Amino acid sequence: MTVLEVSGVSKRFGGVVALAGVDVTIKSDEILGIIGPNGSGKTTLFNAVCGVHRPDGGRVRWNGVDITGKPAFEIGRMGIGRTFQQAMSFPSLSVRENIQIAMEHGSHRRDGATWRWSSAEELLQFVGLEEFADESANAMPFGNLRRLGIAVALGGGPSQLLLDEPAAGLNEAESVELIQLFRRIHQLGVGVCVIDHHVQMMAELCRHLIVLHFGNKIADGPTETVVRDAKVIEVYLGAQS
Amino acid sequence: MTAVVVVAVLALPWFNPGYRALSFGITTGFTAIVLYGMAVPFGQAGIMSLGYAGLMGFGAYTAAILSRDFGMNMWQAMPFSALVAALFAGLFGLPSLRISGHHFAITTYVMCELLRITLTNGGKFTGAATGLDLPPIGAAFGVNLDQVKNTYLLVAVFMLASMLATYLIANSKYGRTLRSIRENEQLARSVGVNTNMHKVLAFMLSGLFAGIGGDLQAYNFRHISPDLYGGAISLYFALMVMLGGPRTLFGPLAGAFIVTFLPEAMKIDPVDSRIAYGVALIAVIMLLPGGIIGVTERGYQWLVEAVRGAPRGASPPEANSSKA
Repeated sequence: MTVLEVSGVSKRFGGVVALAGVDVTIKSDEILGIIGPNGSGKTTLFNAVCGVHRPDGGRVRWNGVDITGKPAFEIGRMGIGRTFQQAMSFPSLSVRENIQIAMEHGSHRRDGATWRWSSAEELLQFVGLEEFADESANAMPFGNLRRLGIAVALGGGPSQLLLDEPAAGLNEAESVELIQLFRRIHQLGVGVCVIDHHVQMMAELCRHLIVLHFGNKIADGPTETVVRDAKVIEVYLGAQS
Repeated sequence: MTAVVVVAVLALPWFNPGYRALSFGITTGFTAIVLYGMAVPFGQAGIMSLGYAGLMGFGAYTAAILSRDFGMNMWQAMPFSALVAALFAGLFGLPSLRISGHHFAITTYVMCELLRITLTNGGKFTGAATGLDLPPIGAAFGVNLDQVKNTYLLVAVFMLASMLATYLIANSKYGRTLRSIRENEQLARSVGVNTNMHKVLAFMLSGLFAGIGGDLQAYNFRHISPDLYGGAISLYFALMVMLGGPRTLFGPLAGAFIVTFLPEAMKIDPVDSRIAYGVALIAVIMLLPGGIIGVTERGYQWLVEAVRGAPRGASPPEANSSKA
């Protein structure tokens, strides 16, 4: 089991406090969901963990090792994979090449361990994109692009995945397929942490939820407790109705 | 196709094209060497630098100074020229870690100008505005390399070697790493690509080409001066690469050939030709983003598919797709 420990991490952009000292513990034996309204600091939290932004305060520990402020590529190699809100890919390269880049640079090369997928084709099969291997990434429909983003992150050989709104822009059926994919990834022993707005989907996928609001953690616990929490309903669930 | 071009390049002297055409061919050759280097960071990693005239200058001045002070010939100076140019290429590339696009291009342009000013005011060491002289290339294996036909072949062999080197880089794992930087730097970092290191490495690699090109140029001209290595010359290099197509096998050669020969062939006044270049550059950027060779390749592929009636399948691989 791997543990990603975020303690007291804060980040401000000018006068805006994006994270006001947040504590989060992500264990690989559970699928963790992080919810919260827009601007509550969810993506900033991921960026602070992954080395995109250097936290102003607090520490990030990965299996006990302090990784606060390390460059993004090193964190990627250490086994923390991520996807992006905007469904990123290497657009004009083929789907296969997208995966190959990740596989050639990921953490599995560092530890010398053999990774679960010996080739890009096998990994593409796992996420269900094998028939698109020779297409260029930007020629694929949006739903597939989301899957490709996940496959690229997996190609790096992570032991923890951080997924930033992976279902944004997808329809009901595609979201359901995605949930199944996350479960299969988790069964491989990879930690899965998901950010999303989709409360229903998150309640179904995660047994553990964390709620952020204006850069503060306002709830952290089993899903059934969190969704009944009066404060959560007020700031987030209530705001939607 | 590749074979046809190689044979055509090497066989040219036997068609007796005359001294003038051959010396233009030599100029095309060492220019193309620099352009093949430039095609690595620009074509693969997607970073446009306007520093290449300057880097060529480092190669040329290294050759001239080593010849004057240590009596080295062209061959002995070549590794030093390549290394010095590579070192400065890395230095010129450093701003790319912080800035990109036009901002980086302008920064490198300024670096070229700084070099030109430094060379002009370098006193006896750099020969100031007059520049430096070099001895003839001499002979190798009993062949007089100063005869224009032989010089042409010498430069042609180096040009073909640099074409091959760029092709191998583009089609290696390393080429793929560089393309990941071009396509999406943030994503590349997240999967473990050390983008900063690879950017500088790509520039240093291209600097080797520029240094060798500069060494060959210096020994062909036998006199070099600061004006050869200013920012304006770099702009011509950029035009050539974009005109030909930086991601194609023949693009840099085609670009160097067109820009070197065309004004001569069409008897265009130098000032007019500069205007023509400006117009050509804008036209290429707007109409032919893959360069002349890139568009030709795509047209050819489209034609083949149309004739075969095959369903439109995958898009062709991006880098150096000509595999004739």
